[in-house]
Amino acid sequence: MAKKYGMIHDNNLCIGCQACNVACRSENKIPESVYRLQVWVKPEEYPNGTLGYEYHRQSCVHCENTPCVSVCPTKASHVNEDGIVLVDVDLCVGCLYCVAACPYQARYVHPITKAPDKCTFCHESRLSRGEEPACVTVCPTDALVFGDLNDPKSKINKVLSEKVTYRQKEKLGTSPKMFIVPNHKGGIRS
Amino acid sequence: MTQMLSRRGFLKLSSTAAAVASLSSIPGTLGAIEESKKQYKGTTKFTPSICEMCTSSCTIEARVEDGKGMFIRGNPADKSRGGKVCARGSAGFNQLYDPQRLVKPIMRVGERGEGKWKEVSWDEAYTFIATKLEEIKQKHGAHTVAFTARSGWTKTWFHHLAQAYGSHNLFGHEATCPLAYGMAGKDVFGAAANRDFSKAKYIINMGHNFFEGIVISYARQMMDALNNGAKLVTLEPRLSTMAAKSTEWHAIKPGHDLPFVLAFIHTLIHENLYDKKFVEKYCEGFEELKASVAEYTPEKMATECDIPADTIKRLAREFAKAAPKAIFDFGHRVTFTPQELELRRAMMIINALVGAVEKDGGYYLSKGADYYNQFIGEGDPKAFKLKKPKTPAYPKVEVPRIDRIGEKDSEFFLAGKGEGIVTLIPHATLNELPGVGYKLHGWFVARNNPVMTQSNMENVIKALKAMDLVVVYDIQVSDTAWFADVVLPDTTYLERDEEFTASGSKNPSYGVGRQKVVEPIGESRPPWRVAKELGEKMGLGAYFPYKDIEDYRLQQVGDNIDLLAKLKATGSASFGVPLMLQEKKSVAEFVKKFPSAASKVNEEGTIDFPQKIQLFSKKLQEVSQKGGLSYESFKYKETDELYLINGKSAVRSNSHNGNNLWLNNLLDDAAVWIHPKTAERLGIKNGDKVEVYNKFSTQKGKALITKGVREDTLFAYFGFGHVSKELKRAYGKGINSNALYSPLVSPNSGMNLHVVGAKVRKA
Repeated sequence: MAKKYGMIHDNNLCIGCQACNVACRSENKIPESVYRLQVWVKPEEYPNGTLGYEYHRQSCVHCENTPCVSVCPTKASHVNEDGIVLVDVDLCVGCLYCVAACPYQARYVHPITKAPDKCTFCHESRLSRGEEPACVTVCPTDALVFGDLNDPKSKINKVLSEKVTYRQKEKLGTSPKMFIVPNHKGGIRS
Repeated sequence: MTQMLSRRGFLKLSSTAAAVASLSSIPGTLGAIEESKKQYKGTTKFTPSICEMCTSSCTIEARVEDGKGMFIRGNPADKSRGGKVCARGSAGFNQLYDPQRLVKPIMRVGERGEGKWKEVSWDEAYTFIATKLEEIKQKHGAHTVAFTARSGWTKTWFHHLAQAYGSHNLFGHEATCPLAYGMAGKDVFGAAANRDFSKAKYIINMGHNFFEGIVISYARQMMDALNNGAKLVTLEPRLSTMAAKSTEWHAIKPGHDLPFVLAFIHTLIHENLYDKKFVEKYCEGFEELKASVAEYTPEKMATECDIPADTIKRLAREFAKAAPKAIFDFGHRVTFTPQELELRRAMMIINALVGAVEKDGGYYLSKGADYYNQFIGEGDPKAFKLKKPKTPAYPKVEVPRIDRIGEKDSEFFLAGKGEGIVTLIPHATLNELPGVGYKLHGWFVARNNPVMTQSNMENVIKALKAMDLVVVYDIQVSDTAWFADVVLPDTTYLERDEEFTASGSKNPSYGVGRQKVVEPIGESRPPWRVAKELGEKMGLGAYFPYKDIEDYRLQQVGDNIDLLAKLKATGSASFGVPLMLQEKKSVAEFVKKFPSAASKVNEEGTIDFPQKIQLFSKKLQEVSQKGGLSYESFKYKETDELYLINGKSAVRSNSHNGNNLWLNNLLDDAAVWIHPKTAERLGIKNGDKVEVYNKFSTQKGKALITKGVREDTLFAYFGFGHVSKELKRAYGKGINSNALYSPLVSPNSGMNLHVVGAKVRKA
C-alpha cells in the first residue's frame, strides 16, 4: 500500500529550542534569508491566570486537500505517492499562485531558483536513505513524531490513538497531515 | 551567503561579503586567505565525536555531505542523549566555515584593544611568547603568569605547559559557572552529586533552566519525568522555559533563594519530615545543622524571599512525602548570593535529610574508576584507569597561588587546583592580594573569554591592559583576544583529535574525546600540538614525550587495545553495571557482575556510603566559621534600582557562539525583559530602545515588555553585547549583563554574583 506520511508536534514536549530549525537548514541547505521550518514561541496568559508559552511549528502541514496544488497551472506543485506535497522546479513558471493560496503561509520563494520552496519532510535528502526528517532526528525532547499514517502499527498512529490532537484551520477542509498535541496548560488533557 | 551554491562558490561569496563589510578582511581570518587553501577534505561516513558549541560536551556524530555541507546529529549509540542535538550543536558547521574565524596567528601592532594586527608565522608567534615568558620569569617569577583554559582537554595541555614553565596559577572557567556546587558536593558527599531526573516524582528547581541552557540528557530525563506525572516546582524571578513547563512557578525575589532553602530545611526538621533512619546511619552533624537553622522559620524567611510561609511549608511536606523519589536541584551557573557555597550545600543537604541519595529518582554520586573500584574485591576485574606519559617533575613554586589554594588556611580549599578562583585574576593584577605577596604580570588564555564571562567587564579589561603579556588561543578574535598581544588559532572541534577521557556517572565511562571530521583549515593547530611546540620552543621538550595525539592515545590505553578500538569506532565505552548504593536491585545486579562485592553488602541488601554525609562542615567551620548554615542579608541594590538578573538562551548560550551565523540569525539582539507595570511607570513600550545602567556600566538594548518577569526585576540573556569588533555579527548588539555586575568575589566559593541593582530608561 502507498504510504501516507504525517507528523505530530507535541506542544508539551516542545521547548522552542530551534534545534529542528537549524537541522533543517543544515540538511536542506536553506539560504539564510528564508526558512522551511521555525518554531514560534508565543507567551500566553491562560484563562486560569497562569502564564506559559505556546509553541507553534511554522512549516508546510502537507494537506490532503491541497490549495497550493489546485491553483498550480503547470502541475509543478504536486502530491507524490507518499502524500508529500512537493514542487517540481523545472515545471514551475514562478506565478506564485501557490504561495498566495497556502492558508498556512508555508511557502517562500527560493532566492536562487526563484521557485517556491517548502518543507518536504526531507523527501529528497533523508527519506530516500531510510532516515527520518532532520527535524525529527535532532529534536532533543522527542516533540516530533514522524511516520506512515497508512501503517496501523506505526508510532505516529500509536501516539495519535493515545493523545488528544488537533490540526490547524481544520474548518477549511484542507486535511493537514500535521497533528498538534495541545499544551496541557491550556486545560486540555489526554 | 548560501549553501545552495557549491562549496567553492559559498566560500567565495563569504569572503566577498566579509570584504564588503570591512573593506578588507581581518588579517589571519578564513575570509582573508587564498581560495586554494580553503578546500576541505572530510569523510561522508559519520564520525563519532563530542560537541563543543557549549561546555556540556554532548556526544555527536558528523559527516560531510556532497562535499559542500555537513550534517551533525547526536550519537545514536549514546542512550542518555537519544542521538539528539540542540540548535547550537546543529550549527557547528558554521563555526568551521566562518569567514570571520581565525586561521593564522596574528600579533598586535597597535595598542591593546585598538584592533590593529599583522599576520605572523607560528614560529614567530612561538618565539615572541617564549621570549616574553622568559623575561617575566627573570623579572617577576614564572608564577606571576596566570594560565586559564577551557574545561576538559584544553586544560590538560596548557596547565601542563604552565607547570612545566613554573607557574602554579592555573584556572578554568569554573568560578564563573559551576564551581560552588562542585565544592558543595565534595564537602557534603565527598563526591560530585548528580540528579536522577527521569525516575523522580517531585523536583524543585531554582533557576536551573536546562530547557534553554540545554543539556540534552537532562532535558530528556526531565521530559520523561513530566510524562510520568512528576511534579515540577520552579522558583525563579522570570518565566523561563523551565518555569513554563512546571507544575508550579513561583517568582522568588532575586538574590533571596537561600532564605527559602533555609526555611524549607527548618520545616523538614521541625515538622519531623526528614528520614531519621537515613540521617542516623549515614549522616554526621545533624544536631549542629538543626541548631544553625533554628531561627530561620518559614514565617521569618517568607518576607525575605517573597514566598508565603504556607507555600514553603506545603512544598516541604509534599517533597518529603514524595521522597526518596525527590530531587532538590542544586542548579548550575547563575549565582544568586554571595553565600553561594552555603546555598548549594543547603540544597544538597535537603536531599540527604529526606534520604534521597543513591536512590532511584533522587541524587546519585559520580562513580569514576576509583569510587567504583572500592566496592570490588580480589578476583574481579576493576575499572581501567587511563595512563599518562611519564614526564619530569614540575619545578617547585615557593609562593602561594593568588587564591591561596593549597595553603592551610585557604578559604577556597574546596576548589581543585585546576579550577582555581579565576575571578581573582583581575584583582590580583591590579592589586597585591593579602597573603599573596606579588601581582600578576601575564595571562595565557586558552579558549576562555573572561572579558565576556567574568562579572564587571571593565575590571577585566583594566587588568588585561595592565599585563606585560597577554596570549590568547581561540578560534576567533574573541572579546579577550581583542586585548591580546598575540592570538593563536585553535582548530574547531570538527578538525581536532583529542586524548581519551575517563569519567563516571552511575558507573565508570570512557570517551574518545574529539575525532576530526575534516582536516584543519588554514594554519589552525590543535591544543596538544601548540602546547608541545611552544614547550619545545621554551626548552621544555622533555615534558612532552609524545609524537602526536595518536601516540599520546596509545600511551593512555597501554595494552588495553580493545578499549582503543571501541572508543574510536563508537565514541564511548563503559565499565560494569550502573550502581545505586541504596537500591537493593541495583546492588544485587552489581554483586552478580562482581561476586567479590558481596562482602560490601549490608544486612539490608544495600551498600553503605564509603564516608558519612556531612550536614555540618568541620573544615568550613575551622577556616571561616561557616560549618552550619546561615543567612546574611546582602544589599544588592539601592531602593530606586531594579534587580538585574541573567540566564541562558537556547540558541546562544555561551560567550563564544554568539557570532555563529545561524545562531546569530536566530537571536542577534537579546532584549531586556521589563514587567508591564514597570514599563508603564517608566514610559517604555515594547521594542523601544533602552539603556540599562548602574554605577558599573551603561548598556544599550531593546525592551521586551512581559509579565514573565517580576515587577522589581530586569532580565537579560547572557552572552550579548560583544566588544570585539572582529565578531562582526555580534559586536555591540544587545545588553551585556556581565558588564553591569559588580566585581565581587564571593567568600569561600570565589564565584561572581549575577544579581545587581540597575535602572532602565528610554534611550
